[in-house]
Amino acid sequence: MSIVPQIIINSIIAGSLYALVAMGFSLIYSVTKFFNLAHGVLAAVGGYGVFFFGRMLGLPVMVAVALGILIATLVGWLLERCVFSPLRSRKSSALVLLVASLGAFTAIQALIALLFGSQFLTLAPILEGGSPFTVAGATITDVQIVLVGTALAAFVCVWLILKKTSFGKVVRATADDEEVAKIVGINTHKVIGKTFVIGSMLAGMAGILSGFDTGIEPIMGLPLLLKGVIAAIIGGMGSVPGALLGAYLLGFSENVGVWFIPGEWKDAISFSILILFLLLRPFGILGRK
Amino acid sequence: MKTETLLQLKDVSVQYSGVHALDHVTVTLDEGEIVALMGPNGAGKSTILKAMFGLAPITHGEVLWHERAFTPISHEVVERGIAFVPQGRRVFSGLTVRENLEVGGYANRDKKLTSARIDEVLELFPALKTKLFVPSGSLSGGQQQQLAIARGLMTDPKVLLLDEPSLGLAPKIVKEVFALMQEINARRNTAIMVVEHNIKSLLSVATRGYVLDKGRVVAHGKPKELMKSNVLENVFTGKI
Repeated sequence: MSIVPQIIINSIIAGSLYALVAMGFSLIYSVTKFFNLAHGVLAAVGGYGVFFFGRMLGLPVMVAVALGILIATLVGWLLERCVFSPLRSRKSSALVLLVASLGAFTAIQALIALLFGSQFLTLAPILEGGSPFTVAGATITDVQIVLVGTALAAFVCVWLILKKTSFGKVVRATADDEEVAKIVGINTHKVIGKTFVIGSMLAGMAGILSGFDTGIEPIMGLPLLLKGVIAAIIGGMGSVPGALLGAYLLGFSENVGVWFIPGEWKDAISFSILILFLLLRPFGILGRK
Repeated sequence: MKTETLLQLKDVSVQYSGVHALDHVTVTLDEGEIVALMGPNGAGKSTILKAMFGLAPITHGEVLWHERAFTPISHEVVERGIAFVPQGRRVFSGLTVRENLEVGGYANRDKKLTSARIDEVLELFPALKTKLFVPSGSLSGGQQQQLAIARGLMTDPKVLLLDEPSLGLAPKIVKEVFALMQEINARRNTAIMVVEHNIKSLLSVATRGYVLDKGRVVAHGKPKELMKSNVLENVFTGKI
């Protein structure tokens, strides 16, 4: 039996997970112009939120998922309000904001480890898993189907918001030139806050779906963040369609690559692609020069 | 007939990193006026507009709107009826011409009003009518300047602050920009305060003018008075 369908399915699954992180990361970058590294830890917050509400409190799975997304969103919004926004008001540089976001990442990750322990946990018992499906000779689980569907649905929603709503135009205007956005009467502080809400929601979803698919651990945010950042850069920083394309390109490159070379080289493939893009097309696939 | 003072900087000082950009400056803009701000580079002309709009750190003095002091915060200033067109044709280059105008009307908080306003504004800028769905980053310099001014008019402001609207434009387009300024002023009685290096053209349309040097007002008056005096020559040749 050919392995090609399985490679394609695995690539789509990996790409979808990266896309959820990359879209939120890129969206937040577009309006703030700094690398929000704390974005990764929100995935862990989402995953642990579901673990807490679903496994520890025994709430129904959909309620636990909704609360997990809510908690991740709330933490992301609070970080913006209590850390990043005051720093921006003091005209702090993008480097200062990046360092602050790294600090927030580390602190929240440590807090999760303190509350739930450092061991690997599984969310699977919350979800009554069905048998894996076989599609064109490739195996895929119900969680993975939901993951792919969620990533695509999230992209369509974010794209429609950005292109078709007044709020989306205001976000794009703020991303284009924040000072002029203020000049035309936009409260950019509020716009950035709302953008954090959307971005953090996407990160939370990524963490929850990754948790259902494989499991959760406090350090789960870092690999997701790294892949999300690479996808966002190669797609073109600040471009949501670019983030999606970058994520799938990354997913395919990794999964096709590890068919030819050992699996431990997966990350090396991702970073090689990143370096190639930085050298040859630093503005990414859909980014603006 | 006595005209009302709409906007005033009263004894305002602005400092950037300890350097005085404005030093106890008082300027006023009355209803229906076109007021020129002139002076060499670094005189503080643009800083006056920025201070009125909450974009410069005021260390002394106050900004008054209808003779009442207020703290200018950009997005709130727009709601008072003041629009600012910054230097350098800063359009939202990733947005289409229509989207730029829609965003310019954000403070209207009414889609129908914004849509009607777009039609009105386009009467003043017919060249933009055929470019509505074109990304504004691909417009020519003159068209981008027109768009920046059109965007400023989307809230039907009582006051329009223009920072070097003719900068980098061809002489023919510069003429059009000045004619447009007069038309905007005449049609809706919009008071305009404009910073411009093109002194001759500016004074031909202005009602009053202020001459600035090193962050201070060194002269002000009617265009004819300013032209007759040698103050302009002196500030531009560094004799003051």
